[in-house]
Amino acid sequence: MTVYILRRLGQMIPTMLGVILLIFFLFSWVGGDPAYILAGKMPNPEQIANIRAQLGIDQPYYVQLWIFIKQILTFDFGMSWSTGESVSHVILTRLGPSLTILIPLTIIQTFFAIGLSLMIAFVRGSLTDRMVMVACTVGMSISILVYIIVFQYWFAYKLNIFPVQGWGESLGENLLHYSLLPILIMLVVSIAPSLRLYRTFVLDEINQDYVRTARAKGLGETRILWVHVLRNAAIPIITDVMSSLPALLIGAFLIERFFGIPGIGREVILAVERSDFPVIKAITVYVAAATMLFNLLADLMYQAVDPRVQLK
Amino acid sequence: MAGLTRSFNLDTMCFSQLKRSLIVSIACVFSLMTLPNTVQAADPSKVIHAAFPAADDGFDMVRTANYYSAVIASSIQEPLLTYDYLARPAKLVPETAAAMPEVSDGGKTYVFHLQKSIYFAADPAFKGKKRELTAQDYAYTFKRFLDPKNHSPAASFLSGKILGMDEVVVNASKTGHFDYDAPVSGLETPDRYTLKITLKAADYNFLYVMAYSGFGAVAREVVEMYGAQIAQHPVGTGPYMLQKYLPRSKIVLVANPDFRSMTWDFKSTGDAWDNQLVHDMQGKKLPQVGRVEVDIIEEEQSRWLAFQGKQLDIAGLPPSIAPSAMSHGVLKPEFAKQGIQLFRSIEPEVTYTVLNYRDPVIGGHSLEKIALRRAIIMSYNTSDDLNILRMGQAVKAQMIIPAGVEGHDPSYRSSVRYDIGLANQLLDHFGYKRGTDGYRTLPNGKPLVLKITTEADSKSQVISEIWKHGLDAVGLHAEFPVSSFADNLKAATECKLMLWGGAWIADYPEGENFMQLLYGPNSNQGNNGCYNSPAFDALYVKAKSLPASAERNQLYVQMNRQVEADGAWLLGVSRVNNSLIRPWVKGYKKHPILASTWMYLDVEKH
Repeated sequence: MTVYILRRLGQMIPTMLGVILLIFFLFSWVGGDPAYILAGKMPNPEQIANIRAQLGIDQPYYVQLWIFIKQILTFDFGMSWSTGESVSHVILTRLGPSLTILIPLTIIQTFFAIGLSLMIAFVRGSLTDRMVMVACTVGMSISILVYIIVFQYWFAYKLNIFPVQGWGESLGENLLHYSLLPILIMLVVSIAPSLRLYRTFVLDEINQDYVRTARAKGLGETRILWVHVLRNAAIPIITDVMSSLPALLIGAFLIERFFGIPGIGREVILAVERSDFPVIKAITVYVAAATMLFNLLADLMYQAVDPRVQLK
Repeated sequence: MAGLTRSFNLDTMCFSQLKRSLIVSIACVFSLMTLPNTVQAADPSKVIHAAFPAADDGFDMVRTANYYSAVIASSIQEPLLTYDYLARPAKLVPETAAAMPEVSDGGKTYVFHLQKSIYFAADPAFKGKKRELTAQDYAYTFKRFLDPKNHSPAASFLSGKILGMDEVVVNASKTGHFDYDAPVSGLETPDRYTLKITLKAADYNFLYVMAYSGFGAVAREVVEMYGAQIAQHPVGTGPYMLQKYLPRSKIVLVANPDFRSMTWDFKSTGDAWDNQLVHDMQGKKLPQVGRVEVDIIEEEQSRWLAFQGKQLDIAGLPPSIAPSAMSHGVLKPEFAKQGIQLFRSIEPEVTYTVLNYRDPVIGGHSLEKIALRRAIIMSYNTSDDLNILRMGQAVKAQMIIPAGVEGHDPSYRSSVRYDIGLANQLLDHFGYKRGTDGYRTLPNGKPLVLKITTEADSKSQVISEIWKHGLDAVGLHAEFPVSSFADNLKAATECKLMLWGGAWIADYPEGENFMQLLYGPNSNQGNNGCYNSPAFDALYVKAKSLPASAERNQLYVQMNRQVEADGAWLLGVSRVNNSLIRPWVKGYKKHPILASTWMYLDVEKH
């Protein structure tokens, strides 16, 4: 196991180098020149040149690339070009609000989707199954923007069940007061595709021989579904959940914007609007690293849920 | 004996009380002597809830030109001059200066005398001591804007103007270190409260520059203590202090207990709104409001619902929401019944599209090129822009200098109008023939394709649709390349965009602030159409040499006519600001230039 983990970590180095090169050249060539935005309304060429020198973007590409690599190795991406905050401070302070919404959402959504998919698969072909599938298709066809606008208007403004927008200072207040409606909306939006996908995974298993054997042995349907079927359907479910986890680091832009949540999603968009490369680069690198780490974690979990899986 | 004792005791008590009173009185007198101007008027229970539609970029105005940063910074840090709250057009008045400065040497020398006993709000940087505002603080503040390391977006307000400063800046560029202690002949502090600024050349708008909201005094020890984090730790002498800052989310200001005593004392312009303000506010100590809570709410629906839900006391009414809240400029009855008030004002701004004078297809001084540009301008239906894009919440700009800005002539009418027929005649006359596809070619028969650069947003999409509709009608083929604002700004600054739309909001209420965008030598630094007209430039130079006067305003009129004749700009609209105010907020009036006006408000119990 240790050798496997070390080998996988070693394989990440060339992958990460590729990611670094891609990010660097992508932003250097198509990312726009921030000097013109930072220079204000009436800049002269000398001011533009001075800003480029201050930001280091007048240096040859190989020098800029080396600086970028050093920043990654030291976890110090410098200062945000637009606010002057340190990039690490920007990420740390904005990540909390995003995770306050996205972690509960991921947990609730995963459990709901698994539970519902097992129940729906159990009554496959019934009216209930078909109605749920139709509801999922309809739900997936509607943009999240519509859900946000309608839910915010009715549940927050008209019925006054939730706050229209806002964010507090304590985790409890944010989780139990401000996050509820955003989580509800995202749950409604995200549950349908997960439910359809997991239902397929479960249906692949439910007709297997071991299920018939279990029934022949007299096991109850609940035990068959929640223990035997779920264990075998778990591997693709783990893959799906793990592949979605890196997205936690880039937040939920629309939700954060409508509900005034100071999360990382809004920060990413603002950074792009302002050509704030240090912030964009740092977040992109962290997401890439997280993706690789969660992939590794998913592989380790496969073996945990199914001992037949061999890690080589 | 008992009586004597009681009498003695009474006498002792009287003496004791007398002594205590005396001590209290002396203490009061002493404290008044040391803090003669400090009277805390603000009531912490009076709270204003407001919203910004976009995020700030921190509060170090040296490093940002963000408007919302300026709103907060100017509540905390004070420039030498400010604007009268009610006077229109905007009128300069002293802020921390004791009076308007002495101007001499034909507008080259300015001597400011500061009010005494103005103190910075308490901060750990001052190590427990009270810190008085001095002229040196302003000298330091101005130098920070010119320090190359700060690459300030507002540097152009001062750059190249102050005598002897260029040498210090050049030296800083070479060495990487700005010597803040180096003497500058044009920036002197002969005593603690006197600041003498000598300019290299006369600049009749320099006093407006001194009122720029970003030029609020900062203390050197505060800047040095917080270093790179200074944008999150603004400290000043103004009416408010930053109490809480959650970037991208919430800003809370509280009244500065060390703020000097000021009284609401403004004269009505004579209209009913002003009269009511004077009635409600005259004679009150400032600030009355003890706490200002600002939420960053970017989405219009969220802001509007927050206002309707009474989470906000003041809110700007976005154009998309305006039709549901007002009709023909009047608030609908359901809102008026709640006591909500509507304050409408035209922003001191214009939108425009530059037509690149250096572009090989549409640029140049030849008659056929001028005709082409004028036909392009005549094909844009500004009424559609007003009705579809602005939802009626704007007015057509007749003049480059908008209303509320010195030099604006309300009787001026643009000679350019939407006229498809005339545009077709003009193009026909100059030999722009239609091909088989219905689109015109250049007089030499080469293809004629206009490139109108836009950004990827819904507003640009609507503008492109209006352009397409009009240009198709006159037979001009147009493409609409989409790129990021940063890329477009760079290309426009380098005079590489054929047509590009923009907007300019007044930095100060004087016409030159707008005319500079068309001055030939400003190509590559603000003149994004690279307009180059000797006639216009000569008028600009002459206008700049004159103080505000009817003669200068007449030059502005001639400059407008020249731009219209040359077809250098398509002038668009000036947007209307609609502010909604809850009935318990008193004293509100949107100022065209002042970023922050919370100190002039009051909140009644509700």
